[in-house]
Amino acid sequence: MLEIKNIHKSFGQNEILKGVDLQIDKGDVVVILGPSGSGKTTLLRCINFLEKADEGYANFGDINVHLKTASKKQIHVIRQKTAFVFQNYNLFNNKTALENVTEGLIIGRKVPKAEAAEIGKKALDKVGLSEKYDAYPSQLSGGQQQRVGIARAVALNPDIILFDEPTSALDPELVGEVLTVMKNIAKEGTTMLVVTHEISFARDVANRVVFMDGGMIVEEGPPNEIFSNPKEERTKQFLKRVLPEDYIYYI
Amino acid sequence: MDFKFLVDTFFVALSGVPTALIITIISLLIALPLGFLLALTRINQIPVLQRFAQVYVSFIRGTPVIVQIFIVYSSVPLFLTSIFEKYHIDKNVYDINPIWYAFIVFSINTTAIMIEIFRSAISTVSKGQLEAAYSVGLTNVQALRRIIIPQVLVTALPNICTATVNLIKATSLGYAMSLQEITLRAKVAANVGYNYVEAYIDIFLVYLILCSLVEYLFKRYEKRLSKYKIAHA
Ligand SMILES: Nc1ncnc2c1ncn2[C@@H]1O[C@H](COP(=O)(O)OP(=O)(O)OP(=O)(O)O)[C@@H](O)[C@H]1O
Ligand SMILES: [Mg+2]
Repeated sequence: MLEIKNIHKSFGQNEILKGVDLQIDKGDVVVILGPSGSGKTTLLRCINFLEKADEGYANFGDINVHLKTASKKQIHVIRQKTAFVFQNYNLFNNKTALENVTEGLIIGRKVPKAEAAEIGKKALDKVGLSEKYDAYPSQLSGGQQQRVGIARAVALNPDIILFDEPTSALDPELVGEVLTVMKNIAKEGTTMLVVTHEISFARDVANRVVFMDGGMIVEEGPPNEIFSNPKEERTKQFLKRVLPEDYIYYI
Repeated sequence: MDFKFLVDTFFVALSGVPTALIITIISLLIALPLGFLLALTRINQIPVLQRFAQVYVSFIRGTPVIVQIFIVYSSVPLFLTSIFEKYHIDKNVYDINPIWYAFIVFSINTTAIMIEIFRSAISTVSKGQLEAAYSVGLTNVQALRRIIIPQVLVTALPNICTATVNLIKATSLGYAMSLQEITLRAKVAANVGYNYVEAYIDIFLVYLILCSLVEYLFKRYEKRLSKYKIAHA
């Protein structure tokens, strides 16, 4: 459904992405793991054109886009097929929870207001915020804000949702509620590409884990394979650092 | 103290209010959008315009308004005369209402102030919100209009209010180009019987009332715009 080919991206002299290929099928939940600075965020941003890649193609079903030379119209089409959940939520501070969710529908997609409100309320119900339609971001906890962020993505009914470390800005006690919401939407068959350091999520929810380092994909496979039987030395080193003790023990 | 003169001249000064207000409004209408756009060029690092905005701001802010008035009031007529001669336009530059020079000076001046105000206000709205807007399919203009500008306005409003009040007060310098505004009208009235103290009290009162009113209106508008902020958890 989504195929990414040969993405290159440099900032000045720094080559951050050095030819990344990735194939994601409908219903896949793919988790990207990797050390800080390995280019995970940059990869997601390139897919959503928040960053312009220097080279590479994105193939969305019948649409094939050259990332560097994509036209405004192509970018708009790709953005309609993708949604982004940000590390810092990035909610619109001047809009209520419901308006945050409906903004993209009404303005970006020209959905009639009443219909958009219906969709928006359903999305907020799904993330457990039925009581908070009219709350402004400043009235919500971090966990609630991120759930609005997820509802905003879900409401657009995109082909794929890109998550960039959705829980890493949260206080530890709020991480659970967001992960639960993500699990639920994964169960519904949503296609997801998730950058996270939450190993439990990768293990329990992902059907594929991709390990990135130094701007390249080092290794990928089903979670139990990657976690219990990594082939590459770099993957082993990384996992040793991030896996909980007991998990290593299991292996 | 001549009370009759005090009361009469109060209304003379008051009759200068429309002039002060129209200069203020025209200057704001030009300076607000222009200042915002130039502030954007600095935030988005658009090479040439950014540099221009920077130099412009330091030039204007580094010189007294009264000097800017003298420069415009003495150079623009010269410039216009040569244009009129070149194109054989039969018009005397000294017939031009000085209010036009006031529009020029105060627009130029206020624009520089607005650039500074918007620059700091824009930097308080995270770039992330702009990206989120793009990611849900908003165009650049839609994102600016619906997400960024409303928040920038709220942050900038107290400073815009101060700038507006300063602008109203600065229009009093228009007397230097014989502009028929509040100060000049009252002073002319005082010339007859040397009732300067009364005239100055009147001028003082008129500006005080005018500026207080403007401040009050700004405060109310600010309250309305910032309803999303008040409910801070
Ligand atoms: N706009 C930018 N300009 C310059 N350098 C950048 C920019 N964005 C990212 N980088 C650099 O690119 C490298 C990779 O960044 P990226 O955010 O993609 O890493 P990451 O894998 O997401 O790391 P983390 O786990 O810390 O989020 C970093 O060294 C970063 O400093
Ligand atoms: Mg990152």
